[in-house]
Order: sequence, then structure tokens, then C-alpha cells
Amino acid sequence: MAIQITRSGKNPLILETPVMPAAGTFGFGDVYRDLVNFEKLGALVTNPVSYEPRTAAHGARVVKLDSGILIHTGLPNLGINKVLRKYRNLWSMLPLPIIVHLIGTTPDHVRKSAARLDEEEGVDALELGLNDDISADDAAEMIHAATSRTEKPVMVRLPTTDTFTIAKIALEEGASTLVACATPRGTARDPLSGKLISGRIYGPMIKSIILRIVGQLANQFPEIPIIGSGGIHSPQDARDFISAGAKAVQVDTLTWIQPHMLEQIARDLGGWIVTRESGALPDEWHPAMGDTEKKRKNDIGYDEDALMDKLRR
Amino acid sequence: MKQSEAIIERVRRINPAYQHLELAVDEYMNRIKPGQSLLVKMGEAWHPYLREQWHPVSIAGTKLVIERPANEHYEVGQVVDIFGMVGQPIRFRRNLRNVLLLAYDTPPTPLLMTIPWLMGNRVSVTLVLVGTARTYDTQHINPEVEVIKGDDDLNWQNQVMTVGWADQVLAVVNPDDELTRFKKVVARFEERRAIIPQNYLFGIFTSLLPCGIGACHACMLQTRQSWALVCTDGPAFDLTQITLD
Repeated sequence: MAIQITRSGKNPLILETPVMPAAGTFGFGDVYRDLVNFEKLGALVTNPVSYEPRTAAHGARVVKLDSGILIHTGLPNLGINKVLRKYRNLWSMLPLPIIVHLIGTTPDHVRKSAARLDEEEGVDALELGLNDDISADDAAEMIHAATSRTEKPVMVRLPTTDTFTIAKIALEEGASTLVACATPRGTARDPLSGKLISGRIYGPMIKSIILRIVGQLANQFPEIPIIGSGGIHSPQDARDFISAGAKAVQVDTLTWIQPHMLEQIARDLGGWIVTRESGALPDEWHPAMGDTEKKRKNDIGYDEDALMDKLRR
Repeated sequence: MKQSEAIIERVRRINPAYQHLELAVDEYMNRIKPGQSLLVKMGEAWHPYLREQWHPVSIAGTKLVIERPANEHYEVGQVVDIFGMVGQPIRFRRNLRNVLLLAYDTPPTPLLMTIPWLMGNRVSVTLVLVGTARTYDTQHINPEVEVIKGDDDLNWQNQVMTVGWADQVLAVVNPDDELTRFKKVVARFEERRAIIPQNYLFGIFTSLLPCGIGACHACMLQTRQSWALVCTDGPAFDLTQITLD
């Protein structure tokens, strides 16, 4: 399976599997190596990186919600130079493309960072994250700052506000892919401190919101590939995004709760599930498929599970 | 870091507010050390969304003993999904003789795993409960541990003596505003001791851990040198090395 997730150009990005972790949920490739088989993922999107180092947000950073969480980390990172020094060797050894998520701070910083990443052999593409409240003019300047300084694909992660305006600008400024979307922002009261905290919301409930946006973007901008990102918590969720018009998907906080699910979704969408040999036992990765299970029951002539249930009773 | 399953083999109410769960765990989990914890998910539902952090309080043979609030319902035979072990073991000083455990406005649960380990190494332990921690019932704790209950303002009897006598201090505070509370603890120790040496006063950070593996950076602390993550570098940090402002 080979999926091109960028517009055709000098350096198209082609993935084996249309599934990758979302920025900010998977570190820099240095974690989850014991729990997830990286070879089954399409790409690795790094944690957000800025030109200059950033410190963590003060006060409460995580608030539990009903079936979700609100997080405000402040996007702490070492800055692009130190990040590259620290992870360059690791990235060159990993068996999948590396997409560095760049925080859109100022056009000048984005320009310098893009130029810096352009020289890095181990980096295959950039994903530019834009502020939720960014104006159309600022977005154009920011995206242009990235696309003008690198030959590598520049993917633009759209905010959930003014999504379609920014998408049009991204298209005009030479973005190679649209990532829809950064999860919505919200405010919640931290039960420990009693303070109101603002941050990004994660959980299964945001999938419907972003799925609609992906469908509309795919209709309006058929000329540019879209990556669906937000609220994916099962293989079916990921397939829904593909059905809505996404070329690939990013899995976010599900990885924190059930790390193996990222690989399971990647196997599912990557076609690994249907390659079982005939007569194999039920696939441990996808017990719901069950066709081999039915075949086994037919072969032995009775339903073993039903019989065991009956004996237990 | 591994993901595995465990079975609740026994549920025992230890006092009106807390219960102990005996968990039959994978063999590797019995190597858990004081300071390390587990991230646990019960069932398939998405509420609660985050994995809960469970602090073991002792190891009974091949079983881990976990302390949970009594108002949470658990059943014998229940299977729990475990992600762990989270964090690093606490680095105890060499030639320890006396250790002071301090719980400030929070139950001392994250500290309790150290007690059997320290007692087994002939280290004497004093447990100080201040603020709301005073309501914690200590009847189930080893009677050789000296328990002192203080007031709401980080005062307790013989404070100068206990602070001076301790070779190492481990403190846990309410996670509502950990940095401010730890700052208050440091200030109190500075009043009672001329110098706070390195590797003497440790804070056990109990902030929420969304990933527990170092991916989300939601638990990042600023240190004097750089930064550290509670989930992978902690939970115990020398408070003289953490930027508490």
C-alpha cells in the first residue's frame, strides 16, 4: 500500500500506512517504542517545536472532563536547534518518515525554522501549527514563511475557527497538505484548584465536529490531500474519516489511554488485517472480524463457546 | 514500560476512608520500587477518560497492595488494565538512619510504600500529617512508625528536633497547587535548619499524568539546569533543584 499524502511536487510524501500519531501525543520517537511497532505506522509527527525554547504553562495543566480531558501545557520544548541535536540520530534510525510539527510563533521564527529543517536529512516534512485566533493576513504570512524556505512538504494544521478561510490561504501559499484540525479550545474548572483553565479539548466527543469539517474541506478543496485528526478512538472512527474524504488520519490522545490501539488502527487501515493466512485462528488484532472464527466453528461441527457456556450453567 | 492485566484478589477496608486492594500481577510488576506507580484503566468505557494513578503501599508475596478511597467500588475477580511501572524509584541516601515522611493537606498514600522498605533496612521512620492529612487514620500503619499530627500551618511538635534528626525527608502535598505548597514546605525547613543540603528534602509530585511515558509533557517541571518530567524522571525531586516560583 502506498498513499501520497501531499500534493504532487518536488518532494511528495508517500506513506505505507495512512495512520500516524498527532503532534503532541507521541513525543519525539523516543517513547512508546516498547508498546507500538513503529514499522506499522505511516509516519511520526513529533511534539510541537518552536524556534526558541518554551517553558511549560504555570498552574493546572490538565482538567478531567466527562469522557475527555482539557490540556494546556504551554507547548514546552527545547527549541529547534536543541531538539535537532537531541533527536537527529534517533530519527535517522527509525523505520518511518518524520514530520516535525512547527509552532507558528512569528513569521521570522517560522522562516528560520523551516530553513533549518530543510537541511535536515532525517526530516521528511513539516507540519505548521497555527494559533486559533490567527487572522487571514497573518496566516498567509506564516504559511508563506514556511513554504518559501523549504523544498520539503509543508502540511498546515488548521484551527477550528476560520477553518475554510485558512484552508484557502494555505492552498494559495503552497501548502502540500491540510491537517484538519487542531482540536477545539475550551474552558473548564479545575476541581483541585477551583480555577478556570483554558486549553485544548480531547476525547471521543470531538470526532463528530472534525469529521464534518473534513467532509466539507474535501468537497471544497479536492485538489489538496487532507489528513483527518481529532477524536479517533477506534478503527471504525478512522475509517469514517477516510470515508469523509481524508487521505490519512492522525490519532491523538487515544494513544495515552490504550497505546496498542494506534498500531491496531494502523494495521486496520494499512491492510494488515486481511492478510491472515487461510484457516488462521481469530486475529488478535481484530477479534471483531471473526470470519476465521466462524470457519473454525464450522470445521469442528459445533459452537465450542456456546457448548462451554451451557456446561458452565 | 509495559501494559498488562491484573486481577483484584482481595478487597479489605482498612479504615472508614480507605480500602486496600490485593492485586495479582505479572511477575515483573513485583519488582516495583518505592516511588513508582501504576496507571490503571477499569473497563472499556471512556469515562473516566484518563487512566487513574494507583500507588502501591506494599508487596504481599506475589501481590501488590494498592490503597484506594473507600467510596470507590471494587470487586474480587475484577480485571484491571495496568500501564506501568511509572516513574523512577526514590533515591535514598546512603547510610540512612532516620527518615521523615511529611503529608501536607493530602493523604500520605504515595509515601507508604517506603515504610516496609525502610523498616526492612533498619531505618526509623516518622510520619508527620499536617493540614487535612491529620484526618488520615493510621491504625493500619506499622506501629514502629512514629506518627505525629500537626496543625493547618505546617507546624508540629518537636519540629526543630525532627527536622534536624532526619537524614532525608520525603514530602507529599495536595496537587491543587503543588509548586506553591512545596515552596511553603521549603520555607518552613529553611526556618528550622541552617542549610538544606542536596538530596535531603524531596517532594513527591502527584500531578495528573495523561500519558505516563513522557510523550505529552503535561507534567513538566522547570529545574535549575533544564527541565524534568514527573512521569519519567520523578515522582521524587530534590526540592532545592526545582524552580518553585
